[in-house]
Amino acid sequence: MAWFTDRHFFLLAVAVYGLSTVYSVFLWRKGFRKDDHVNYLLLLAAFVLHTVAMVRRGFSINHCPVNNLFEAAMFIAWGAVIAYLVIGLLPRLRFLGAFVAPVLFAIGVFALMPELDPPHGPKPQFTGALTSLHAATILLAYGAFGLAAAAAGMFLTEQHDLKFHKLRAVLSLLPPIQRLEIITVRLVLAGFILFTIGLEAGHYLPHPNDVSVSYWSDPKVIWSIFMWLVYLGLLVSRRIFSQSSRRFAYGIVAAFVFLLLTFWGTNLLSPLHHP
Amino acid sequence: MNVVVIGLSHHLSPVELRERFAFTEARIPAALKSLRESGLASEAVILSTCNRVEIYAATALEPATAFTELKEFLVQSSGLAGNCDGVLACGSLLPPSNPTPESKAPEGWRSPKPGGSSQVLGQDVPLSGDELYTFAEPQSLHHLFKVACGLDSMVLGETEIMGQLKQAYALAQQHGHTGARLNKAFQRAFHAAKHIRTHTNIQRGSVSVASAAVELAEKIFSSLNDRDVLVIGAGEMSEKTARALLSRGARTIIVAGRSFERAQTLAKEFGGRAVQFDDWAMEFEKVDIAISSTSAPHHILDRAKLEPLMKARKQRPLLLIDIAVPRDIDPAVNFVENVYLYNIDDLQAVADDYLKQRKDEIARCEAIIAEKVTALLKLTDSQPRMDTDGHGYKTQADPA
Repeated sequence: MAWFTDRHFFLLAVAVYGLSTVYSVFLWRKGFRKDDHVNYLLLLAAFVLHTVAMVRRGFSINHCPVNNLFEAAMFIAWGAVIAYLVIGLLPRLRFLGAFVAPVLFAIGVFALMPELDPPHGPKPQFTGALTSLHAATILLAYGAFGLAAAAAGMFLTEQHDLKFHKLRAVLSLLPPIQRLEIITVRLVLAGFILFTIGLEAGHYLPHPNDVSVSYWSDPKVIWSIFMWLVYLGLLVSRRIFSQSSRRFAYGIVAAFVFLLLTFWGTNLLSPLHHP
Repeated sequence: MNVVVIGLSHHLSPVELRERFAFTEARIPAALKSLRESGLASEAVILSTCNRVEIYAATALEPATAFTELKEFLVQSSGLAGNCDGVLACGSLLPPSNPTPESKAPEGWRSPKPGGSSQVLGQDVPLSGDELYTFAEPQSLHHLFKVACGLDSMVLGETEIMGQLKQAYALAQQHGHTGARLNKAFQRAFHAAKHIRTHTNIQRGSVSVASAAVELAEKIFSSLNDRDVLVIGAGEMSEKTARALLSRGARTIIVAGRSFERAQTLAKEFGGRAVQFDDWAMEFEKVDIAISSTSAPHHILDRAKLEPLMKARKQRPLLLIDIAVPRDIDPAVNFVENVYLYNIDDLQAVADDYLKQRKDEIARCEAIIAEKVTALLKLTDSQPRMDTDGHGYKTQADPA
C-alpha cells in the first residue's frame, strides 16, 4: 500500500466531491424538496478520505501540511467541509452541501495540478509553530469565507425564488432566508477573525535568509491586506450602513471568487511565500 | 362476523342533514349500548364529526339485513323517529327491504335514488336518497383505513380526523363496546395512517390560503416568534391569516380598520391592539408582516410611500400579503429591497400546488391501504375469533 500516497487519498476525496456536485445538480433540479441525507453522507465520506490525506501528508513531512499550494488548497477545502458538516447537523441547513460541493470540487481539482505540489526538499519551506499558526488560521479563514459564499449563494437563489413567486421557494425544504443571512454574516465574521490572527502572526515571522523584500511590500501581503479590507468593508456596510441583504450576499460571493482566482497568482509573485 | 359501515358525510350530504344525524359525545355510549342490546351488532363504534356520522359495527347478521336495521337505528337516533314513518314512506332515507347484491360491490351499496326530495321535520333539507352509504367487508375496512388516513376528508390528507377517530374508538372501548374484530381493525387503521403519514407526502404542505401565507412567512423569517403583524382592513381571509400566524407564534397583531370599533373587537380577539385606519403607515417601522384586505378602489400602498418606510426599518425583511380585490398594494413595491409581496392568486397557487401534490399521492396511499387491509383480512381469517355476542359475553367463534 506504500504506493497509495496522500495524493491518491485526496484524489479519491475530490472524486467524491465531484459525485456530490453531480448529485447537487439533481437536487437543484428537483427543487430541494427531499431531505438531503445522501449529499451529507457523500461529503462525510469525502471528508474522511480528505482527512486521511491530510494526516498522511502531515506525518510524512512531520509538520502541519500547509507548505505549498497543493497543501494550502487542501487545507482550505478541509476547513470548509468540516464547517459544513457541523452546520449540516441541523436538518434545514443540510442543503448547504449542494452549494458547497461544487466549490470543494473546484478547489480539489485546482489543488491536484502537479505543479502546485513540488517534492519537498530535505526540510519544508516553512517551519515553526508561528508559521503553522499563520498558515492554518489563514487557510481556515478562506474555508470559512468559502462556506459563507456558499450560504450567500443559497440565500440569493432562495431570495430570487421568493421575489419572483416561484413555487419552488415555498415547496422546497431550504431554510428561511433570514437564517441564511445570519449564518453568512457569522461565517464571514469567523473567517475575518481567523484572517486577522493569521495576518498578525505572519507579521512576526522571520524572513527567509535570501529574501530582501520587506513584509509590507510583498505582493501576497498587499493582496491579503486588500482582501482583509474587502471583508471588513462588507461587514461594516452591513452593520453600520444597513446594506441590503442581497448586495451583501453578492459581495460575499464576489469576494470569494476573486480570492480563488487571485490566490495562486499572488502566491507565485510573492518572494516571501515563493522564494 | 362481518365489519360493516353505515354513514353519511360531506361528500353527499349537506350540513343541514349531517347535523340532524350527529351524535353528541354524551349520547354515544347509550347509542352503542342500544345497538348491542338489540342484537344488531356485537361490537360498535360511532364516529360523529362535523363532516361525517358513521357507525362501524361487527355483526353476525347478513350485511343486507344489517344495513336495513342500522339505517332504521340511525333514523331513530337522529330524532326523526316521530316522523320515521313519513321518512320511510318517502323511501328516501331507507333502502329497499331486500337490498341488492350490490352491497358487496367494490364501491359499496347505496340506497336507490327516489327521484325526488323530501322534508325532514319541517326543515327544507332535500333528500335524494344518495346521502347514506353502506359498506360490507372488505370495503368497510378499506373505508375505515381511508378515513383514518384523511383520504376521505374534505381537506385531503388532513390529520384532525385521525384524532377524532381515535377519540370515537376510545369512547367505545372505554364502555366495553369493542371486541377483537373492531379492536384489530381500528388499531391497524391507526397504524396504516401513521405509516402513510411517514412514507408519503399526503399530509405535506398547506392547502388553504391562510396556511400558505404562514408557510411563506416561515420561508422568510427564521422564526415567527417575536414577529409583529399588521392587519389593514378586517376581512374574513385576513382574519384567518392573522389567526394562523398567531397560532404559529406571532407576537402581536395590530388591526387598522375603517371602523375603529370593529378593529378594536378584532384586536381584542387576537390579544393585540387597534389603530386608526389613517395611522397604519406609522406602524410599518415595527411590523414584519402586513396583511391588507380593504375595499379601497385604488392602491393604498405604492413604491414611493414604502421606500422611506423601508429606510426607517433598516432594511429588515417585510412580507406584504395583499388579499384585497381590487388590490391594495401596487405590484411595483415587490421591486423594493427586502420586500416580498404576495397577492391572493399567488397564495392560491401555492395551496393548489400542495393539493396537486397530495392528489398525486392518492394512488400510493391506496396501494398501501389495500396491502394493509389484505394483511388484516388474512390475519382475521387465520385466527380463531373471540367474538362477543349481543350481550357482551365473549364467545369462541366456530373456526369452520
